[in-house]
Amino acid sequence: MSQSLPAIIYPVAIPLMGAFLLPIGARRMAELAGLFGRIVVLLSFSTSLALAVSIWTAGPAVSAMGGFAAPLGIVFYADRLAMLFLLALNVAVFLFWPRGQGAKGGPCTLMLALLAGGSGLILSGDLFNIFVFYEITAVASYGLAASGRTHAGFAAALRFLILGSVGSSLMLIGIALIYARTGTLNLADLSRIAPHALTGPVGLAAFILLLAGLGVKAELVPLNTWVPEVYGAAPARVSALLAGVVSKLAMVVALRFVVQVFPGDGAHTVLLVAGILGVLAGELAAWRAGSLMETFSYSSIAQLGMVALAFSISGAAGIAAGIALALHHAVVKPAFFMLAARWRGPVGGLAGAVKDSPLAVWLFVILSLSIIGIPPFPGFWAKFLFLKAAFAAPSAGVWIAVFVMLAGTVVEAAYLFRAVLVFFADGERGGSTPRFAFAQLAPALGLGAVLLAAMVFIAPLGASISGMADEASNAAAMAARVLDRGE
Amino acid sequence: MSELDFLFAFAAVLIAGVMCCGRDGRAGWAAMAVYGAMLVAVMAAAGKVAGGSIPSALGFSVLGHKIGWRMDGLGWFFSMLTAGAAFFASWYAAGEWGRAQPGMKTQHLLLALNVAAMLLLVNAGDLLSLFIGWELVSWAAFAMMAQKGGPAQPAAMRYMIYALAGAMAVLAGIMIVHAVTGSFAYKDFAAAFGAMSSGMKWLLAGLFAAGFGVKMALMPFHLWQAAAYSETPGASSAFLNAVSARMGLFALILVLVKVMGLSALAGLHVPLIGLSAKGLLMWIAAFTMVIPTFIALMQTDARMLLTWHGIGQGGYMLLGVLVGTGLGTAGGLLHVFNYATYQMALFLAVTAVIHRTGTSDLDRLGGLITRMPWTYVTLLMGIIGLAGLPPMNGFVSKWMIYRSLLDSGSAFLLIFAFVGTLGTILSVYKLIHNIFLGRLRPQHEGVREAPWSMVAPMLALGGIGFVTGWFPGLALNLTDIAQAAMGAPELPHGLGGVATARGSLNMIWVVSILLVAIGFGAIVFYFLGNRRYEVNQLNNYAGGHFLSPQVPYQFSHEFYPGLARVIGPWYRGSIVRAEQGIGTLLDVSGDLWRGIYHLAWTPLYLLAATVIALGWAIMGGM
Repeated sequence: MSQSLPAIIYPVAIPLMGAFLLPIGARRMAELAGLFGRIVVLLSFSTSLALAVSIWTAGPAVSAMGGFAAPLGIVFYADRLAMLFLLALNVAVFLFWPRGQGAKGGPCTLMLALLAGGSGLILSGDLFNIFVFYEITAVASYGLAASGRTHAGFAAALRFLILGSVGSSLMLIGIALIYARTGTLNLADLSRIAPHALTGPVGLAAFILLLAGLGVKAELVPLNTWVPEVYGAAPARVSALLAGVVSKLAMVVALRFVVQVFPGDGAHTVLLVAGILGVLAGELAAWRAGSLMETFSYSSIAQLGMVALAFSISGAAGIAAGIALALHHAVVKPAFFMLAARWRGPVGGLAGAVKDSPLAVWLFVILSLSIIGIPPFPGFWAKFLFLKAAFAAPSAGVWIAVFVMLAGTVVEAAYLFRAVLVFFADGERGGSTPRFAFAQLAPALGLGAVLLAAMVFIAPLGASISGMADEASNAAAMAARVLDRGE
Repeated sequence: MSELDFLFAFAAVLIAGVMCCGRDGRAGWAAMAVYGAMLVAVMAAAGKVAGGSIPSALGFSVLGHKIGWRMDGLGWFFSMLTAGAAFFASWYAAGEWGRAQPGMKTQHLLLALNVAAMLLLVNAGDLLSLFIGWELVSWAAFAMMAQKGGPAQPAAMRYMIYALAGAMAVLAGIMIVHAVTGSFAYKDFAAAFGAMSSGMKWLLAGLFAAGFGVKMALMPFHLWQAAAYSETPGASSAFLNAVSARMGLFALILVLVKVMGLSALAGLHVPLIGLSAKGLLMWIAAFTMVIPTFIALMQTDARMLLTWHGIGQGGYMLLGVLVGTGLGTAGGLLHVFNYATYQMALFLAVTAVIHRTGTSDLDRLGGLITRMPWTYVTLLMGIIGLAGLPPMNGFVSKWMIYRSLLDSGSAFLLIFAFVGTLGTILSVYKLIHNIFLGRLRPQHEGVREAPWSMVAPMLALGGIGFVTGWFPGLALNLTDIAQAAMGAPELPHGLGGVATARGSLNMIWVVSILLVAIGFGAIVFYFLGNRRYEVNQLNNYAGGHFLSPQVPYQFSHEFYPGLARVIGPWYRGSIVRAEQGIGTLLDVSGDLWRGIYHLAWTPLYLLAATVIALGWAIMGGM
């Protein structure tokens, strides 16, 4: 039986309220905007944490807005998977809060809007709200992408905007298609109706259209052409936030669709193909990338491709692998972006960096080893879960996926360690590469510490992820929690 | 705590110790003492391991899998080699050589890490811990290779790409085994293997053979090893050559021979050519034996020459083990031990030459016999072992491998083995001639013998090679333990060698007669012949040519011109091109994808895709 928690609304309502209030106050006291925003994030974080605790102890929660029960009313649905990414989003927004020049009213407002939109996206239980929150998130990220106020940033953000809007319209068409076919937009309701009503080419077309919208954020091929440009031009904190967490929110929503609305083979195959292309595209392009920033942009495409591959394997094992991969990437990639923000320019110019900033270089090595998947780092166990899930459900597509993923790992190691060897290049006195101030390195170091802690606590972490996946893979139980309350 | 726990504890203490005070001048001696203690601990465990296996308290449970470590006879054998090789390498580095090295603390640390990784690998208790150990060894070796910088870096990079590709094959194999058997235990795999379909058997055998084969540089994965090992600093490189190069063999023995079983591999037939999986692997070993050996012949750098030989020698070991008889298995394992002794001695000797002259370029050396006599003696003992001639131990193991091939009726493989040995003899002669014989270079007139801290471990290794050549039973006692753990038939032997129904070898007689003969020869040469005329080393000698001292004339450059013309093309062969081809493919497809990301046409694709999808939906019966 699910619990009913009105508190689910707070992680969305608080930052949304903050986003409305902040510009008004910032007009008078610009210097306080950053502080106010941080307080709002902390508030939102603490309510999320309280919510997470109660969901961890008492099971998934449902909240019907205004007392109208689903499927007529609007519902928020919170299980452990949603809570995990909600907390990750809150932490990431706090960690990558704008600093210095960027900490004006505008970017701070957009950050709060992003937080509100992202939280709503992950909690919404119906398609229309997902679309609304997706748009809020998207608009906030367009603005943030341009918040560096550089020419390149504006150009990139504009192209991002065009692509994103096309994607959103496609998503809306998909939603319309679903509504025309089934007469409902509630995910729980759809999970009972869709398997009969939404089959065949129409269902698949609807899924592809939804994915075309989500894929822009989730960096799926071919919708991710904005990635290298935006991540290269936006402030590193924004890139870290978008690549690290926001992309995963879209991926989790895609997972909800696959589990609840499109459990058939067609949708899984689409996701599988998108994943294979993503890994191929990302790893190969990263191999030829010039700067670290560009390398990590492409590598993030590849990593999200792996998440898509994992989610394309039906059943709890695939979902667990996807969660592990996504979580691992959410820790590692932002740290990489923070390092790359200081080490701009061609990789060759970083020779001897180990003498200038040894801590950053060693952090880079650890992050690299983990993302390549070298035991005993957590990245290995994420890939391990993926392979375990893949070989448990073998098909021709899965074999190709495994091959591409393993080959991609080799390429990944090659381009990451190509950079590491440059850092350690001999005969350099040092002094020619940028040094890190502590404040610049601190977020990356913190994430590195999280990674090492995860290495130590891998056993309980694994158990909790597989519990999460069991919960998120059971569409019937989810529908029962939302629809059969009170009866 | 079991003996194995003591070993792990020693390794951990050493790593911590080197990290805190590795800069101290005495760190090398302390490390040597710890490796010595490890060697003693391994030896002390011999009795216990012969009767069963030694568990370790180390282990953890993750994602529902229990991972543990356990030492059996095979792991014991390789642990002994690891500790022994580390002992000699650190002895060599403890004195003057280490003091002359930049970044010696890092080298101490990397050696300690490599030893720890190796122990974790060879004593792995299941497939998952095997993979963990495998990756640790790969990356520890990578760090060791890349540490020096400069030209070592591209070589290390190439190694890393090969090693990781191999590791991914191994990982895929392990995960498939898990999907089939539901466990990572060796015994479940062994039990399930027989019942698998032959396609599955081929897949697993292929993945494991390729993955492990990369690490022992089996053809066609042999291109990385020579450059990577040669560029590593001397003492570390000797360790890599002696032990790390054998990790692929260890894993092949463990998974293909012990778990899958040679008879199962022999039952897998290749269509059309009439070979089984086992036969195919033997031929791969045979080609690995011959081609890298002749590539070694073409080298002009002493270290490259030796490391190319290392690849070829690995072929002999694998071939012996794959024969699968008591004699063949013992021969293969004994060759692992013997090779470790003489290859280390050779590499340390060459490093001593580099230490004194600054080069290992065979075109720039010569005549050092009078300047570095003990190094010469070590190198002489080493090359006799490498060539597989009496009285050194290399002869015994090669004889056993030849004999086992003969017994099993593999005449063509035997011919390959002989051809490989011929190439070895030719090239080791080039090695000793170009460094120690012939004309002394004027700039080397002032060269002195290496210090005792370097000469002593070299001679000790040569001495082990000589003693175990004279009394092979000593070393065969060690291989017995590994052989029993592999489940291979045991080989009855005495102190002097083996006696089989179809031929026997007693090295005590062979070596004793040889020594007596050499003694007679020496008496004739030194006391009974005509008065000798000593030629100054700087004088040119050139049969019949008139030359002034200003014109050096010596056949050290292009040593075997005729042969080089014949086998030269092997050096730039099809495999090199295949490797370049893969690299180019990667570059081109990378550029292609990157190019796509530099176009801003995605919204157009999207609109097109939408129209198509909608059309599809409507045609589909909306």
